[in-house]
Amino acid sequence: MTLMYPDEVQDLPDGYRGMIEYDWDSCIKCSLCAMVCPADAMKMYVSKEESEREGKTVKRPGINYTRCIFCGFCVDICPTDSLRFTKVHDVAYYTYEEQIYPPVEFSKGVPKPFYFREPKRVRVILDERRGIKYEPVGES
Amino acid sequence: MSSMEEREIELLIGPQHPASGHMRLVAKVDGDVVVELRPNIGYVHRSVEKLAEVKKYLQIIPLVERPSLADTTANNLAYVMAVEKLLGIDPPERAKYLRTLLAEINRIHSHLYGLGIHGVMIGSSTAYMWCFGDREPFLELAQELTGARLTYSYIIPGGVRRDLPAGFGERAERVLRYMENRMKDYFDLYFNNPVVRARLEGVGVLSRDDAIRLGVTGPNLRASGVAYDVRRAEPYAAYPELEFDVVTEQAGDSFARVMVRVREIVESMRIIRQVLRKIPEGPILHENYEKLIPPKLREEMKRRGMVKFPSVFANLRVPAGEAISRVEGGRGEVVFHIVSDGKLSPYRMRMVTPSFRNVILFEHLTRGVRVADIPAIYGSLDYFPPEADR
Repeated sequence: MTLMYPDEVQDLPDGYRGMIEYDWDSCIKCSLCAMVCPADAMKMYVSKEESEREGKTVKRPGINYTRCIFCGFCVDICPTDSLRFTKVHDVAYYTYEEQIYPPVEFSKGVPKPFYFREPKRVRVILDERRGIKYEPVGES
Repeated sequence: MSSMEEREIELLIGPQHPASGHMRLVAKVDGDVVVELRPNIGYVHRSVEKLAEVKKYLQIIPLVERPSLADTTANNLAYVMAVEKLLGIDPPERAKYLRTLLAEINRIHSHLYGLGIHGVMIGSSTAYMWCFGDREPFLELAQELTGARLTYSYIIPGGVRRDLPAGFGERAERVLRYMENRMKDYFDLYFNNPVVRARLEGVGVLSRDDAIRLGVTGPNLRASGVAYDVRRAEPYAAYPELEFDVVTEQAGDSFARVMVRVREIVESMRIIRQVLRKIPEGPILHENYEKLIPPKLREEMKRRGMVKFPSVFANLRVPAGEAISRVEGGRGEVVFHIVSDGKLSPYRMRMVTPSFRNVILFEHLTRGVRVADIPAIYGSLDYFPPEADR
């Protein structure tokens, strides 16, 4: 029943609403993600380089994880699938500032959670007799 | 001491967080007999109502879930139903069934939460551990369906966000069979335990007339013998097509309130089974919105079973008017009243949560009981402080 976190880490189901990854190339800068965000975590940042190159103001989304509530509305409204869910949710930071991701940092992918030892990956098995059971991933 | 006034002392219970929320009770006691008990409630959900006036319609969905974290689906569903009434749309059949499915999973884990908290309040840590442990399979099911453990934000205007994952029915069936077996253990250890019975039976009796007069809702009302359930009185989602009984008990005491919850868990499991058997094929988002999604994305969305929002959802405009919706949540009736002036945010939103209507019971039920009965009564009301605060 008990998950021995952080020695054991649960494998999460598909569609789990974790931290969000951003694909720089497929983004069409429509700003729908920033418009729908209920917590004002997703904001449009002016992309200086692109603005200078194209001669007009170009904005791209960035995220502030101190505000994000992981509702996933931004991902669901993104018309080009530039924003995607990841299964990462257990990341710790030293400062508030580190949790704010302007577009360039945002596009570099989500941080890898830090563990002292490589954790054992387990998945949840819903058992008829014992309720929840954790089983190492790889065994069937 | 001569007069009665001098014999009474004021006893402050809390604020503490031993069980649910930040509860502060101001009791006047004479010896260990409670003369008066006033709950001192805070201001959580007034802020939700006020904040809703500056948020856009879709952004309010995660917001209304916040006051009652153990029972988020009821608030989510009630709010969306009110918005749908204003929009004049009806969700597709499959979406209705999925809403019912999540609402019932939520009801079960909300009741287990209440029973667990009640257990620890009257001194049974085992009941607490068991209930919270057995909540976990249901949370896992909900997580699989929605992607989150508590704040699902699953129900959106015109439908739901995710389709049923492959193999969900089979896993749900396993969980239900587990819970059914488990119920026997609960009765052996907890509900038929002489100590538990002595603490709860005949304590905090709420008569049928008082329950109606005070406007009590939910399991607390049904424990006093009133068969009132919004799912029957004003059916919504897929409830008109499902068979279930409105659970009532006659005694009206703390034990009856607990038993109503236990029997409702069984009833909810029956509903989940029916939903999984009867769920029709079809879209999960209303066609008005589905046709706004680009064709390529629509195909992708159907393949993955995850809804993509049409771009109108970012600035959803709701026609001017008023709408009221009612939903039977885990703790009782949830009411939303939305006044729209046709702009991007509601002109006014009012939410009535069940705990707010049940908080009045504290003063009523605890008059003349012993101090030791306070937690027994408090727990049996399945009271959730943030939901009542205003």
